[in-house]
Amino acid sequence: MSKGFFSKIKMAGVQCNYRTSGLIILFFISLFSSSACVSHLKKAKFHYAQGQEHSRRYHTEKSISSQGYMLKGMAELNLEFWKEAEESFRNAHSYGFEEGEEWAQQLSLLGLASSMEALGIEDSSFRIYGYLLDKSKLKPVTIVAAQKYTDAMLRKALHLDGKERKKQLSSVLKEVQKLSDKDLSCGFYHYLQSQVYSHLADYRKSFEGALMGKELGLPTEEILRDNDLQIIFCYQNLKEELSSEEWEEFRARYSEWIKKWKWKGPETPDWKKER
Amino acid sequence: MGSAFILYSRISFLSKVFPLKTYLYFPLLNATLFWAIRKAQEWKEEIFSWKVWLDPDRIETKPDEFVLNFFENHTGLNRIYESEIRERDWAALREAFARLYPILGLGDPFLSALFHEEIESENYRKIVSGFEERVNQAEKDIETLEGQSGLLKGLKTFADQMLSLNLDLISQDKVQTVLAGLIKKHFEEKDE
Repeated sequence: MSKGFFSKIKMAGVQCNYRTSGLIILFFISLFSSSACVSHLKKAKFHYAQGQEHSRRYHTEKSISSQGYMLKGMAELNLEFWKEAEESFRNAHSYGFEEGEEWAQQLSLLGLASSMEALGIEDSSFRIYGYLLDKSKLKPVTIVAAQKYTDAMLRKALHLDGKERKKQLSSVLKEVQKLSDKDLSCGFYHYLQSQVYSHLADYRKSFEGALMGKELGLPTEEILRDNDLQIIFCYQNLKEELSSEEWEEFRARYSEWIKKWKWKGPETPDWKKER
Repeated sequence: MGSAFILYSRISFLSKVFPLKTYLYFPLLNATLFWAIRKAQEWKEEIFSWKVWLDPDRIETKPDEFVLNFFENHTGLNRIYESEIRERDWAALREAFARLYPILGLGDPFLSALFHEEIESENYRKIVSGFEERVNQAEKDIETLEGQSGLLKGLKTFADQMLSLNLDLISQDKVQTVLAGLIKKHFEEKDE
């Protein structure tokens, strides 16, 4: 009985051992196979994430490069380093800044116009400045083109008489007015208008233009000073031109302005040596 | 006292880098001080750009009335150019205007220091006749010197030191007069 019993137990133990071993083997197989799966998955995930990171970094670097070149170009533009700015915009374009190519082309045109002007090929340079005035979205380029265009037109006007002269001046005035209509806050365009009105001997309007230019700000110290001298020139002419009543009214307003600007007198700006 | 000391140290410095070009000391220091006072970021470019103030094209396009007004309203010019004004000699007036307007009108800091003696003695015709030669010479001398590394650093030190004296409270013409006086005194003392 006991033998039988023991042998039963043994048999049962053996059976149990077989089952356990099978389970253990199965467990390890499943463990190994699942760990192998996890490892592959992990690797795939890791490589995918790395790929994503590279791609992100590539795009970021590309965009940083394009932004960097664009900003560099803008700084060079403001310093009037035209050639350098052109190159920077071309580089910005090669890194994906879409407008870069167009901006570089405009600078190339500006350089070409300037070279042609220096060689005395005025008509072509004049046409380019006119084109840039219309098309350029770069303010420093538009400003230079406006300046060159206006100077050339005024120079032509100086050699004309009567109706022809007036026609020429009206035409340049229209161009400059178009610019300040587009960008009313640009002091330089008002300065140019003031200069044209001065040629037309309309000193009230010339004064208004110079006043707007001064209040809105002008690009350089010498232009600011030239504009101040234009204000004084208008003041002196209006003194002769206006009726006594109009003059008194104008003088009172003028006094307010020069007080605001801290001028030493009606004909002496703050920067000017008193004579 | 402070400004004199700073100035003497700068002149000594310029004498080392620029021994034979004493005529440029005043224009260089005056222009440096002018741009430093205005705290222009691009002061180096301003000093070394050598653009005579206001584009010559713009000066050329000023109307006759403006040119005439410039001569008539300046006491010295009115007297010296009396016959040209009376005869409306536009060629002569415009030629003189192109050279004198940047200096007497706009107060170009470099040019007004370069022609300081002529301005003081009201020898305006000398400015007009010698303008190109003098300006071209200055430009050439500066260009040959521009490469020397110490010059900009020295000018910057001068600007910083003078600014520490709150010179921005003083007007440009006063600064210029003080500067001219100190430089003159320095050379006189050296001669003795």
